[in-house]
Amino acid sequence: MTLEKIRQKVRELHAKTRRQLLGSLVVPFVVVGFYGFGMKEFPALQPLFAFAVAWSLVGLYFLNRGMWSAAMPGDAALSTGLEFYRREIERRRHLFRSVLLWSFAPVLLTIGTFILTLAKIGVRDRGIFPNAMPFMVLVVIWIAAYFVIRMREQRELQREIDELNDIERANR
Amino acid sequence: MGGTESISTGAARQDDLYRDAADNYSSAIARLASAYEADPEKRRDLSQDIHFQLWRSFQRYDARCSLRTWVYRVAHHVAASHVLRERKIFSNLVSLEELEMLPDKDQGQFAADQRSNLERLSVLIQQLKPLDRQVIISYLEDMDAVSIGEITGLSPGNVAMRIHRIKNILARRFHQGGGNE
Repeated sequence: MTLEKIRQKVRELHAKTRRQLLGSLVVPFVVVGFYGFGMKEFPALQPLFAFAVAWSLVGLYFLNRGMWSAAMPGDAALSTGLEFYRREIERRRHLFRSVLLWSFAPVLLTIGTFILTLAKIGVRDRGIFPNAMPFMVLVVIWIAAYFVIRMREQRELQREIDELNDIERANR
Repeated sequence: MGGTESISTGAARQDDLYRDAADNYSSAIARLASAYEADPEKRRDLSQDIHFQLWRSFQRYDARCSLRTWVYRVAHHVAASHVLRERKIFSNLVSLEELEMLPDKDQGQFAADQRSNLERLSVLIQQLKPLDRQVIISYLEDMDAVSIGEITGLSPGNVAMRIHRIKNILARRFHQGGGNE
Protein backbone atom coordinates (compact mmCIF):
# COMPACT_ATOMS: atom_id res chain seq x y z
CA MET A 1 0.00 0.00 0.00
CA THR A 2 1.51 3.33 -1.03
CA LEU A 3 1.76 6.37 1.25
CA GLU A 4 -0.47 8.31 -1.12
CA LYS A 5 -3.17 5.68 -0.70
CA ILE A 6 -2.80 5.86 3.06
CA ARG A 7 -3.24 9.64 3.01
CA GLN A 8 -6.35 9.14 0.88
CA LYS A 9 -7.60 6.72 3.55
CA VAL A 10 -6.99 9.36 6.23
CA ARG A 11 -9.16 11.80 4.28
CA GLU A 12 -11.85 9.13 3.83
CA LEU A 13 -11.76 8.38 7.56
CA HIS A 14 -12.26 12.05 8.42
CA ALA A 15 -15.21 12.26 6.02
CA LYS A 16 -16.70 9.08 7.50
CA THR A 17 -16.36 10.46 11.02
CA ARG A 18 -18.19 13.63 10.01
CA ARG A 19 -20.96 11.55 8.41
CA GLN A 20 -21.29 9.39 11.54
CA LEU A 21 -21.53 12.45 13.76
CA LEU A 22 -24.25 13.94 11.56
CA GLY A 23 -26.03 10.55 11.47
CA SER A 24 -26.05 10.36 15.26
CA LEU A 25 -27.96 13.66 15.34
CA VAL A 26 -30.87 12.12 13.42
CA VAL A 27 -32.28 10.03 16.31
CA PRO A 28 -32.77 12.97 18.72
CA PHE A 29 -34.50 14.91 15.95
CA VAL A 30 -36.89 11.99 15.36
CA VAL A 31 -37.48 11.87 19.12
CA VAL A 32 -38.15 15.62 19.21
CA GLY A 33 -40.60 15.20 16.31
CA PHE A 34 -42.54 12.57 18.26
CA TYR A 35 -42.56 14.78 21.33
CA GLY A 36 -43.69 17.78 19.36
CA PHE A 37 -46.84 15.89 18.45
CA GLY A 38 -47.43 14.77 22.05
CA MET A 39 -46.73 18.17 23.54
CA LYS A 40 -49.22 19.81 21.22
CA GLU A 41 -51.93 17.28 22.00
CA PHE A 42 -51.35 16.94 25.74
CA PRO A 43 -49.71 19.84 27.52
CA ALA A 44 -49.96 17.87 30.79
CA LEU A 45 -47.31 15.44 29.49
CA GLN A 46 -44.88 18.23 28.63
CA PRO A 47 -42.51 17.66 31.60
CA LEU A 48 -42.18 13.97 30.66
CA PHE A 49 -41.47 14.83 27.04
CA ALA A 50 -38.99 17.53 28.00
CA PHE A 51 -37.19 15.09 30.32
CA ALA A 52 -36.91 12.47 27.56
CA VAL A 53 -35.57 15.05 25.09
CA ALA A 54 -32.97 16.24 27.60
CA TRP A 55 -32.03 12.61 28.38
CA SER A 56 -31.45 11.70 24.74
CA LEU A 57 -29.44 14.87 24.11
CA VAL A 58 -27.19 14.25 27.12
CA GLY A 59 -26.98 10.62 25.96
CA LEU A 60 -25.80 11.78 22.57
CA TYR A 61 -22.88 13.52 24.23
CA PHE A 62 -21.91 10.53 26.39
CA LEU A 63 -22.29 8.00 23.59
CA ASN A 64 -20.15 10.02 21.21
CA ARG A 65 -17.54 10.67 23.87
CA GLY A 66 -17.36 6.92 24.55
CA MET A 67 -16.96 6.12 20.88
CA TRP A 68 -14.36 8.68 19.94
CA SER A 69 -12.19 8.29 23.00
CA ALA A 70 -11.52 4.64 22.17
CA ALA A 71 -7.89 4.09 21.24
CA MET A 72 -7.39 2.83 17.69
CA PRO A 73 -5.54 -0.45 17.28
CA GLY A 74 -2.52 1.42 15.93
CA ASP A 75 -2.20 3.34 19.20
CA ALA A 76 -1.97 0.17 21.24
CA ALA A 77 1.12 -1.43 19.76
CA LEU A 78 2.79 -1.50 23.16
CA SER A 79 -0.02 -3.72 24.46
CA THR A 80 0.08 -7.45 23.93
CA GLY A 81 -2.67 -9.31 22.10
CA LEU A 82 -4.14 -10.52 25.38
CA GLU A 83 -4.34 -7.01 26.88
CA PHE A 84 -5.73 -5.45 23.74
CA TYR A 85 -8.36 -8.14 23.17
CA ARG A 86 -9.57 -7.94 26.75
CA ARG A 87 -9.82 -4.15 26.52
CA GLU A 88 -11.78 -4.40 23.28
CA ILE A 89 -14.27 -6.86 24.78
CA GLU A 90 -14.67 -4.70 27.88
CA ARG A 91 -15.12 -1.61 25.72
CA ARG A 92 -17.80 -3.41 23.71
CA ARG A 93 -19.59 -4.47 26.87
CA HIS A 94 -19.42 -0.93 28.22
CA LEU A 95 -20.67 0.50 24.93
CA PHE A 96 -23.67 -1.82 25.04
CA ARG A 97 -24.55 -0.61 28.54
CA SER A 98 -24.14 3.01 27.45
CA VAL A 99 -26.40 2.45 24.45
CA LEU A 100 -29.03 0.95 26.77
CA LEU A 101 -28.82 3.83 29.22
CA TRP A 102 -28.41 6.78 26.88
CA SER A 103 -30.14 5.74 23.70
CA PHE A 104 -32.52 2.85 24.21
CA ALA A 105 -33.98 4.06 27.53
CA PRO A 106 -35.04 7.51 26.20
CA VAL A 107 -36.55 5.75 23.19
CA LEU A 108 -38.48 3.46 25.58
CA LEU A 109 -39.69 6.50 27.50
CA THR A 110 -40.74 8.11 24.21
CA ILE A 111 -42.66 5.02 23.16
CA GLY A 112 -44.25 4.73 26.60
CA THR A 113 -45.32 8.35 26.52
CA PHE A 114 -46.53 7.98 22.96
CA ILE A 115 -48.68 4.98 23.96
CA LEU A 116 -50.00 7.00 26.90
CA THR A 117 -50.87 9.78 24.46
CA LEU A 118 -52.66 7.31 22.19
CA ALA A 119 -54.55 5.89 25.16
CA LYS A 120 -55.66 9.39 26.17
CA ILE A 121 -56.80 10.12 22.63
CA GLY A 122 -58.56 6.72 22.72
CA VAL A 123 -60.62 7.87 25.67
CA ARG A 124 -61.82 10.83 23.59
CA ASP A 125 -62.19 8.96 20.33
CA ARG A 126 -62.82 5.28 21.05
CA GLY A 127 -61.72 4.05 17.62
CA ILE A 128 -58.02 4.92 17.84
CA PHE A 129 -56.75 2.78 20.72
CA PRO A 130 -58.04 -0.62 19.49
CA ASN A 131 -56.81 0.20 16.00
CA ALA A 132 -53.35 0.92 17.37
CA MET A 133 -53.19 -2.38 19.29
CA PRO A 134 -51.36 -4.41 16.59
CA PHE A 135 -48.73 -1.68 16.36
CA MET A 136 -48.28 -1.63 20.11
CA VAL A 137 -48.01 -5.42 20.32
CA LEU A 138 -45.31 -5.29 17.65
CA VAL A 139 -43.46 -2.59 19.58
CA VAL A 140 -43.57 -4.67 22.77
CA ILE A 141 -42.31 -7.77 20.90
CA TRP A 142 -39.50 -5.72 19.37
CA ILE A 143 -38.44 -4.38 22.77
CA ALA A 144 -38.52 -7.86 24.34
CA ALA A 145 -36.55 -9.40 21.45
CA TYR A 146 -33.97 -6.62 21.60
CA PHE A 147 -33.43 -7.26 25.31
CA VAL A 148 -33.19 -11.04 24.97
CA ILE A 149 -30.69 -10.83 22.11
CA ARG A 150 -28.55 -8.17 23.76
CA MET A 151 -28.52 -9.98 27.10
CA ARG A 152 -27.29 -13.14 25.40
CA GLU A 153 -24.60 -11.11 23.71
CA GLN A 154 -23.61 -9.68 27.10
CA ARG A 155 -23.39 -13.15 28.62
CA GLU A 156 -21.19 -14.27 25.76
CA LEU A 157 -18.86 -11.31 26.22
CA GLN A 158 -18.67 -12.06 29.94
CA ARG A 159 -17.85 -15.69 29.17
CA GLU A 160 -15.01 -14.52 26.96
CA ILE A 161 -13.68 -12.24 29.69
CA ASP A 162 -13.77 -15.20 32.09
CA GLU A 163 -11.83 -17.28 29.57
CA LEU A 164 -9.22 -14.56 29.26
CA ASN A 165 -8.98 -14.45 33.07
CA ASP A 166 -8.34 -18.20 33.07
CA ILE A 167 -5.64 -17.78 30.44
CA GLU A 168 -4.01 -15.04 32.50
CA ARG A 169 -4.05 -17.24 35.58
CA ALA A 170 -2.47 -20.07 33.61
CA ASN A 171 0.14 -17.59 32.38
CA ARG A 172 1.46 -16.85 35.90
CA MET B 1 10.51 27.10 13.29
CA GLY B 2 12.26 24.35 15.27
CA GLY B 3 8.86 22.89 16.10
CA THR B 4 7.87 22.73 12.42
CA GLU B 5 11.17 21.08 11.58
CA SER B 6 10.80 18.42 14.23
CA ILE B 7 7.23 17.69 13.08
CA SER B 8 8.36 17.23 9.49
CA THR B 9 11.30 15.08 10.63
CA GLY B 10 8.89 13.00 12.70
CA ALA B 11 6.55 12.61 9.72
CA ALA B 12 9.45 11.60 7.48
CA ARG B 13 10.59 9.05 10.05
CA GLN B 14 7.05 7.71 10.27
CA ASP B 15 6.91 7.35 6.48
CA ASP B 16 10.35 5.68 6.40
CA LEU B 17 9.41 3.21 9.10
CA TYR B 18 6.18 2.41 7.32
CA ARG B 19 8.00 1.88 3.99
CA ASP B 20 10.45 -0.44 5.72
CA ALA B 21 7.63 -2.42 7.34
CA ALA B 22 5.61 -2.57 4.14
CA ASP B 23 8.63 -3.79 2.16
CA ASN B 24 9.36 -6.58 4.63
CA TYR B 25 5.95 -7.62 5.93
CA SER B 26 3.36 -6.95 3.21
CA SER B 27 3.02 -10.60 2.29
CA ALA B 28 2.84 -11.64 5.96
CA ILE B 29 0.07 -9.06 6.47
CA ALA B 30 -1.80 -10.45 3.48
CA ARG B 31 -1.53 -13.99 4.91
CA LEU B 32 -2.66 -12.75 8.31
CA ALA B 33 -5.68 -10.99 6.77
CA SER B 34 -6.69 -14.16 4.95
CA ALA B 35 -6.49 -16.13 8.20
CA TYR B 36 -8.90 -13.67 9.81
CA GLU B 37 -11.34 -12.98 6.99
CA ALA B 38 -12.73 -15.41 4.41
CA ASP B 39 -14.61 -12.91 2.29
CA PRO B 40 -12.22 -11.50 -0.38
CA GLU B 41 -13.76 -8.02 -0.38
CA LYS B 42 -13.65 -7.69 3.40
CA ARG B 43 -10.18 -9.23 3.44
CA ARG B 44 -8.92 -6.47 1.16
CA ASP B 45 -10.46 -3.86 3.45
CA LEU B 46 -8.93 -5.51 6.49
CA SER B 47 -5.53 -5.59 4.85
CA GLN B 48 -5.78 -1.87 3.98
CA ASP B 49 -6.89 -1.12 7.51
CA ILE B 50 -3.86 -2.91 8.90
CA HIS B 51 -1.55 -0.90 6.66
CA PHE B 52 -3.26 2.33 7.65
CA GLN B 53 -3.06 1.59 11.39
CA LEU B 54 0.52 0.50 10.98
CA TRP B 55 1.42 3.82 9.37
CA ARG B 56 -0.39 5.68 12.20
CA SER B 57 1.34 3.59 14.85
CA PHE B 58 4.82 4.61 13.69
CA GLN B 59 4.24 8.08 15.13
CA ARG B 60 4.87 6.38 18.47
CA TYR B 61 7.43 3.77 17.60
CA ASP B 62 10.34 4.05 20.03
CA ALA B 63 12.18 0.79 19.29
CA ARG B 64 11.21 -0.63 22.68
CA CYS B 65 10.42 -3.82 20.80
CA SER B 66 11.57 -5.09 17.44
CA LEU B 67 9.96 -3.84 14.23
CA ARG B 68 8.62 -7.35 13.60
CA THR B 69 6.91 -7.59 17.01
CA TRP B 70 5.45 -4.10 16.50
CA VAL B 71 4.10 -4.92 13.05
CA TYR B 72 2.52 -8.19 14.16
CA ARG B 73 1.00 -6.64 17.29
CA VAL B 74 -0.65 -3.85 15.32
CA ALA B 75 -1.80 -6.27 12.63
CA HIS B 76 -3.31 -8.69 15.15
CA HIS B 77 -4.95 -5.85 17.10
CA VAL B 78 -6.64 -4.53 13.95
CA ALA B 79 -7.71 -8.04 12.98
CA ALA B 80 -9.05 -8.84 16.47
CA SER B 81 -11.11 -5.62 16.41
CA HIS B 82 -12.37 -6.64 12.99
CA VAL B 83 -13.43 -10.07 14.30
CA LEU B 84 -15.28 -8.49 17.23
CA ARG B 85 -16.98 -5.95 14.98
CA GLU B 86 -17.97 -8.46 12.36
CA ARG B 87 -19.09 -11.30 14.50
CA LYS B 88 -22.72 -12.24 14.46
CA ILE B 89 -24.96 -11.76 17.47
CA PHE B 90 -24.46 -15.39 18.41
CA SER B 91 -20.80 -15.96 17.84
CA ASN B 92 -19.72 -19.21 16.28
CA LEU B 93 -16.10 -18.81 17.28
CA VAL B 94 -14.75 -21.53 19.51
CA SER B 95 -11.99 -21.94 22.05
CA LEU B 96 -9.35 -24.64 21.67
CA GLU B 97 -11.18 -26.78 24.22
CA GLU B 98 -14.42 -26.57 22.23
CA LEU B 99 -12.65 -27.18 18.96
CA GLU B 100 -11.15 -30.38 20.33
CA MET B 101 -14.65 -31.67 21.05
CA LEU B 102 -16.19 -30.62 17.73
CA PRO B 103 -16.47 -33.14 14.90
CA ASP B 104 -15.06 -32.00 11.56
CA LYS B 105 -18.33 -31.18 9.83
CA ASP B 106 -16.66 -30.27 6.55
CA GLN B 107 -14.90 -33.60 6.24
CA GLY B 108 -17.12 -35.12 3.54
CA GLN B 109 -17.35 -31.88 1.68
CA PHE B 110 -13.60 -31.56 1.68
CA ALA B 111 -13.21 -35.01 0.30
CA ALA B 112 -15.76 -34.28 -2.41
CA ASP B 113 -14.36 -30.91 -3.34
CA GLN B 114 -10.74 -32.03 -3.30
CA ARG B 115 -9.88 -28.71 -1.76
CA SER B 116 -6.32 -28.14 -0.72
CA ASN B 117 -5.04 -28.75 2.77
CA LEU B 118 -4.06 -25.11 2.96
CA GLU B 119 -7.62 -24.03 2.48
CA ARG B 120 -8.69 -26.51 5.10
CA LEU B 121 -6.17 -25.07 7.51
CA SER B 122 -7.53 -21.56 6.83
CA VAL B 123 -11.08 -22.69 7.57
CA LEU B 124 -9.94 -24.23 10.84
CA ILE B 125 -8.02 -21.11 11.88
CA GLN B 126 -11.02 -18.90 11.08
CA GLN B 127 -13.08 -20.89 13.60
CA LEU B 128 -10.73 -19.99 16.44
CA LYS B 129 -11.02 -17.08 18.82
CA PRO B 130 -8.59 -14.22 18.14
CA LEU B 131 -5.99 -15.12 20.78
CA ASP B 132 -5.60 -18.69 19.53
CA ARG B 133 -5.51 -17.42 15.97
CA GLN B 134 -2.64 -15.12 16.90
CA VAL B 135 -0.72 -18.07 18.27
CA ILE B 136 -1.18 -20.37 15.29
CA ILE B 137 -0.69 -17.64 12.67
CA SER B 138 2.56 -16.56 14.32
CA TYR B 139 3.64 -20.17 14.54
CA LEU B 140 2.96 -20.64 10.84
CA GLU B 141 5.14 -17.57 10.22
CA ASP B 142 7.99 -19.57 11.76
CA MET B 143 8.17 -17.68 15.05
CA ASP B 144 9.39 -19.31 18.21
CA ALA B 145 7.42 -19.48 21.46
CA VAL B 146 9.26 -16.47 22.96
CA SER B 147 8.47 -14.21 19.98
CA ILE B 148 4.85 -15.39 19.93
CA GLY B 149 4.70 -14.65 23.66
CA GLU B 150 5.92 -11.08 23.02
CA ILE B 151 3.11 -10.52 20.55
CA THR B 152 0.29 -12.27 22.36
CA GLY B 153 1.25 -11.70 26.00
CA LEU B 154 1.12 -15.42 26.74
CA SER B 155 3.97 -17.13 28.53
CA PRO B 156 6.22 -19.28 26.30
CA GLY B 157 4.95 -22.38 28.14
CA ASN B 158 1.34 -21.43 27.46
CA VAL B 159 2.20 -20.74 23.80
CA ALA B 160 3.91 -24.12 23.46
CA MET B 161 0.95 -25.88 25.05
CA ARG B 162 -1.51 -24.15 22.70
CA ILE B 163 0.57 -24.93 19.62
CA HIS B 164 0.76 -28.57 20.69
CA ARG B 165 -3.01 -28.77 21.07
CA ILE B 166 -3.70 -27.03 17.76
CA LYS B 167 -1.27 -29.37 16.01
CA ASN B 168 -3.02 -32.36 17.57
CA ILE B 169 -6.40 -31.14 16.34
CA LEU B 170 -5.00 -30.54 12.87
CA ALA B 171 -3.30 -33.92 12.77
CA ARG B 172 -6.46 -35.70 13.86
CA ARG B 173 -8.63 -33.88 11.34
CA PHE B 174 -6.23 -34.27 8.44
CA HIS B 175 -5.84 -37.94 9.26
CA GLN B 176 -9.62 -38.41 9.33
CA GLY B 177 -10.00 -36.42 6.11
CA GLY B 178 -7.26 -38.48 4.43
CA GLY B 179 -9.05 -41.70 5.33
CA ASN B 180 -12.14 -40.57 3.50
CA GLU B 181 -10.50 -39.38 0.35
